[in-house]
Amino acid sequence: MAFLIRTIDFTASGREIVRDRTVDAAAVNIGRAAENDIHLPDLAVEQRHVRISDAGGGMLKIEAVGGLEFGIDGRSTMGADVDPNIGAELSLGSSRLAISRDGDGPVQIVIKQVEKDEGAGDALQNFALASALPSKRAMAWVFSLAILVLLLSVPIITHLTRTPVENDPENITEGQVLFDAAWSAGELSMAHHELEGNCEACHVTPFVSVQDETCLTCHEELGDHAKMPRLKEGMAPLSTGDAIQWSIAESLGKEGPLGCVSCHSEHEGPVKLEASDEKFCADCHNDLDTRLTDVAFGNASDFGKKHPQFRPQFFTAHFDKNPKRVSLDKNPKEMSGLIFPHDIHVSETGGAARMAISLPQYGAPLECSDCHAEEEDGVGFAPVAMEDSCEACHSLVFDRAGPNFRNLRHGDVDDLMEDLATMGRGSRGSIVTGRDRPGQFARGGTYYSNFGRPMSAYISINRALEPTGVCGECHIPTMTNGRRDLTPVNLPDRFLMRGFFNHKEHGDDVAECSDCHATDTSKEATDLLIPDLESCRDCHLGETAVKTEEIVPSSCAMCHGYHTPTMPWRPEDHPKLPGNGGSDSVAAILSSLRR
Amino acid sequence: MASVPNNRFKQDEARRNADHVSFLKHKKYRYLWIALLLSIVSGLGYALIDQEPRPNGGSWYGYTLGTIGLLLIVWLSLLGVRKRKITTGAWSLKAWTSAHVYLGLALIVVGTLHTGFQIGWNVHTLAYFLMLLVIITGIYGVIVYATLPASLSSNRKEMTRAQMLEALTALDRQLESAAQPLGREQSDLVISALGQDVFYGGALARLTGAYPGCKTNKALKGIGTASAAEERVHTLLTKRAEQLGQIRRHLRIRALLEVWLFIHIPATIALLAALLAHVVSVFYYW
Repeated sequence: MAFLIRTIDFTASGREIVRDRTVDAAAVNIGRAAENDIHLPDLAVEQRHVRISDAGGGMLKIEAVGGLEFGIDGRSTMGADVDPNIGAELSLGSSRLAISRDGDGPVQIVIKQVEKDEGAGDALQNFALASALPSKRAMAWVFSLAILVLLLSVPIITHLTRTPVENDPENITEGQVLFDAAWSAGELSMAHHELEGNCEACHVTPFVSVQDETCLTCHEELGDHAKMPRLKEGMAPLSTGDAIQWSIAESLGKEGPLGCVSCHSEHEGPVKLEASDEKFCADCHNDLDTRLTDVAFGNASDFGKKHPQFRPQFFTAHFDKNPKRVSLDKNPKEMSGLIFPHDIHVSETGGAARMAISLPQYGAPLECSDCHAEEEDGVGFAPVAMEDSCEACHSLVFDRAGPNFRNLRHGDVDDLMEDLATMGRGSRGSIVTGRDRPGQFARGGTYYSNFGRPMSAYISINRALEPTGVCGECHIPTMTNGRRDLTPVNLPDRFLMRGFFNHKEHGDDVAECSDCHATDTSKEATDLLIPDLESCRDCHLGETAVKTEEIVPSSCAMCHGYHTPTMPWRPEDHPKLPGNGGSDSVAAILSSLRR
Repeated sequence: MASVPNNRFKQDEARRNADHVSFLKHKKYRYLWIALLLSIVSGLGYALIDQEPRPNGGSWYGYTLGTIGLLLIVWLSLLGVRKRKITTGAWSLKAWTSAHVYLGLALIVVGTLHTGFQIGWNVHTLAYFLMLLVIITGIYGVIVYATLPASLSSNRKEMTRAQMLEALTALDRQLESAAQPLGREQSDLVISALGQDVFYGGALARLTGAYPGCKTNKALKGIGTASAAEERVHTLLTKRAEQLGQIRRHLRIRALLEVWLFIHIPATIALLAALLAHVVSVFYYW
């Protein structure tokens, strides 16, 4: 078998020196020793390293003779069969022996020295993914700097350098701080939604929590639940946990449990602030008298279990200038100055009923609404006007002028006297008989007048103002400066001043008037027909009561307002916002179960 | 005197035993139990403490969880510092790594409860999602470190990376001479195949193992087996493609092993920045 061995060396100037020789042998030995067919003076090569022989079928067998491996096509091995027609590269130390054959020609072995690859280490670095991606450090710098600049520095700098603007609820301005929308922990409540882009309206000073003072720049009309030192005195002692929390919070500048934000927490999404629960009120009002000994009202914790009797406000004596609050437990009498038995008027039988049936405007026994007209808001009733509600039966007709009847004017005793003084001008007897004036001046004529003393008028006035007279039907006669007069009518516009009651919510489908107002047994106008606590409790029990067809669980906020304790019906223009729905968190469910 | 070597033996034995326990099983899963306890306590507290009007990062419980979360994040990120310090003592790197993994997982619970499930387009949620990104890539990292090194090893077939490159160079030298008889068009195909960088292709190519622009494959398609010379080149190109395939499988496994760090590390640093912005902004606009 013939091997063509070609050695390629390079001169110092880089020129190739090619030496060819042919070895005709069964095998070729390669090694460092001089007796080898191919002698490689390289310490990395064994004395006798590799032997190449014919493996038959055109294949060559390459085997390691010593203990060291050799490289074939870059892989280390102790032996390999190669097809010289395809070619292979044998590597030994720094020599590369390319084995090939053209057709049936001799096997060519081309020997070249390779220079040590200086860049091999660098090439290995390419195996790491780092070579195909930006460096972790660079990415970390870029991202963190972007965050620190855009989301921290820009808002802080623009906040510190802004021109402070007075808050104006009528004309809300856009905020001047840039990118602070990214600081918002959540949408504002519905009521404050317009402030969404104006964080500094509330967050005025850096690292200082939102102050009550800032809230009050817009909510200046808001009433106090009580004045500050008193409010604090009345407050129930905090639990240990809450006390610790608040002492930490207050040391950091929060305004304490009585500050606006302790109830009005914001950034909870577009929700409405729900009325507080019963416990919120009961915490202080359950035993308020132990802390505030001078309060006029009783303790309360639950409408069904602990609530003072109602103390409506009305006139307790005739001629009083101001109404007084008296507990219904004291069986109070209302001195309205009127005489009015409700029982006769609401009875379905008897004179009043017959009278009403006979009158076309009623046509049936009287009902409450015949006199008491509900006001448009459905909350209360319009004052009863005598002319509209009473006069159909209690006629004030006193004279007839031609085809028309003359009515006494109602409301002022002077008017009454004036009207009655004109009475009987044409019907007095003549002084002399048999001699009449002629024409228009005669009795019955247009210009006839009797200039005598109006005795009958005086009598009528006196009779009208007597207890049995026309006025005395409803009014209590009295004397003013020696003159007959009537006791003034003293009716308050509103009886319940500290609680809110809406008649509309208690309409026909809920109750009849007489279910709460004992009209059918009331014989005197002095009966105060305001229902008492017990009658409300027929349906309304505390927040924790079980809701049934009849029972309505009622928290304090149903009738009372925290910020408007004396006028819970205010503010009338408070926006009506949809509710939020119940909370479905586990904690909320558990706490409702505990209740 | 005799007791000294005895002690030494015990010490060394304990050390040897510890050396062969995975960081996941360190000290009988000590940190897994700690992390589970932390998660369960946080969850129970969240469920049972009624925060008015609703759970929120700004309630006392929210601040508590937030503080725990912040301290955990800062400590977890210090693994990068700790692993560069060769120290001895109770705080072994393995214990540290074990705690890093398990407490990092517990952070999902602590961090999520701290949010009170209030998510929005703000710096707070940014910090939360960066945290989740870091944790998720970390989970991926643990999984690939446990599974991929075996396939990396089996793909090597006892070759070093240098040998893989060397094998390719050997094939290239043979191709150079074998392609001498070829015509212009086919020679150009060989030139372009040899001229293409072994590490051609970006990160995506490495991760997917898809190299649509591979010139060796293109040359393989263009050079048939019509003549002996062509057949020889074709065979060498096939070998080259196989060798490239091995290198690329290696690259793919390496990429899959390493890619998570390219998110985990920058996202951690970004998270620390976002946390700073989160905490400062919350108290700046208090």
